[in-house]
Amino acid sequence: MQITFWGVRGSYPVPGAATVRYGGQTSCVEARSAGGDCLIVDAGTGMRALGNKLVREANAPMHHHVLLSHVHWDHIQGLPFFSPAYVPGTKISVYALLTAADELHQVIGGITRHEFFPMPLEAVPAQFEFHQVEPGVDFTLGAFHITPIALNHPFGSVGYRIDCDGSSWAYVSDTAPFTEVLHKQHFLSGVEQLSDDDRVALAAMREALVRRLAGVDTVVYDTHFLPDEYARFPHYGHSTPDQALEICAEAKVRRLVLYHHAPSHGDEQMDRIAADYLGKGAAVGIDVLTSFEGMTLPIGDEGTLI
Amino acid sequence: MRIRFWGVRGSFAMSGRDFLRYGGNTTSVELVTAAGERLLIDLGTGATELAKTLMGGEFGKGQGQLPILLSHTHLDHIQGLPFFTPFFIKGNQIRILGANPISGLSLEATLQNQLAPHYSPLNGLENLAAGVSIETIQPGAALEVPGFEIETGAVPHGSMWTTAYRITADGKTVAYLSDVEYPSYEDPLEVALSLARGADLLIHDAMHADHDYELRRGWGHSPAAAGVVVAERAGAKKLALFHHSPDATDDMIDEVVARTTARTAVPVFAAAEGSYLDV
Repeated sequence: MQITFWGVRGSYPVPGAATVRYGGQTSCVEARSAGGDCLIVDAGTGMRALGNKLVREANAPMHHHVLLSHVHWDHIQGLPFFSPAYVPGTKISVYALLTAADELHQVIGGITRHEFFPMPLEAVPAQFEFHQVEPGVDFTLGAFHITPIALNHPFGSVGYRIDCDGSSWAYVSDTAPFTEVLHKQHFLSGVEQLSDDDRVALAAMREALVRRLAGVDTVVYDTHFLPDEYARFPHYGHSTPDQALEICAEAKVRRLVLYHHAPSHGDEQMDRIAADYLGKGAAVGIDVLTSFEGMTLPIGDEGTLI
Repeated sequence: MRIRFWGVRGSFAMSGRDFLRYGGNTTSVELVTAAGERLLIDLGTGATELAKTLMGGEFGKGQGQLPILLSHTHLDHIQGLPFFTPFFIKGNQIRILGANPISGLSLEATLQNQLAPHYSPLNGLENLAAGVSIETIQPGAALEVPGFEIETGAVPHGSMWTTAYRITADGKTVAYLSDVEYPSYEDPLEVALSLARGADLLIHDAMHADHDYELRRGWGHSPAAAGVVVAERAGAKKLALFHHSPDATDDMIDEVVARTTARTAVPVFAAAEGSYLDV
């Protein structure tokens, strides 16, 4: 199995000279099994370039599977620009957590309503289907065995553990740490006082995450903030590399990949972050890589690029 | 009047080496009068760059005032809204003016839907700390904005309409016609000619290179040649090609400019992110 990063940025796409090397497009990762099965995780703006590649490579219309962590704009904005959707005969299955009262097809189709986009989802040639996921309820798609994991993010979000070809990786984005803030179904203008129930809920979420990540080869983690930035915005729903390292060390994973970079972190700052956390990871026995657009990683000790 | 392009890309923000000179941010254009009154058109990702500059001044202190005109609410024209930091500072007064996007749906409801809880943690316009007013305009009507005289008109954009603007300040006029496709680009609609008449600068949709246009006729955007016809017939003094295709690299835009320049006596340039022009 291998994974390729098509978008590594958080919040919104960031063009310009400062993002040429790490990339400016938002969340989208492609997993490939040794047998060639494809799985797409998140549909941020990186999905446009992935779609163009898939159309170039395809001999016939495909069935694409897309796992969504949640439906904030930066994780779904690429979907209307995913060129396989405009190829007749294509099927696109979307898997997501229900974070609002509306049905998934209404929420995800809502971004292509007339006022936002020229062509509604119902009118595109591809056939779409939507599947609701539940934390802890695993399922299989081709060569991939997938376990959704509840995360701590405004209005809810899920990570995924993905087992395939005798190894595993996990996608843990977007999430806040599990200490100061419990995200619920309302807007937070700042940190709210935690109740005892909230603390219990946070501890349970953290415990389940560590348990699901146990022994995973590679963990891709929301490390949007540096510690000083997190201190100013603890209620935004994102983590620091230090918080990711703490979880990964407990779960004894081999490798941590920093992901969902803040829009304000330019290439030079990303170089410093990469170097700093490579060292901090080494100190606790974890190989820390910093994702950039276009990066392909083999998964597992014996992994080779396909 | 000084005009500054903060985002010039159409449809989709493009990052990477091939888009550095003209820029990859989606549409946002700032106008400032000699007296310092400011007006913004469209809230694409380019607005997030402007926001950084504004926050260094009165907007960072909650003393900023800004009217924003929207051409329409397709995502590339509003995707910067949730990240436009002056909205997060109490005391700033921001007006968003635009037409209702489709019949039966208000501008306010559309922007609320953009910030709906599943799509954005902001969970609604009411959670923006700044004072925000959403003002529905009727295309064709004149607008009152301090420092600027504004005329408006509806122009066709695929299966919908967008609002085009004619903006006059300091005795100079800028026409903004982004996201428009005429039934025939050789024969632009009178509403466009009227808004562009004698303008010192015409900013016009040039999504497609002329040779690509036939493949995309009916999608709601113009070939570069459309702006030329409007500029020539309306007597506009200068033409800015705008709303560049996400597939157009810097070198491709250079070629479009060269070919367009060769066919008209009107001075032509391609709008580039970060550049400004004293009209």
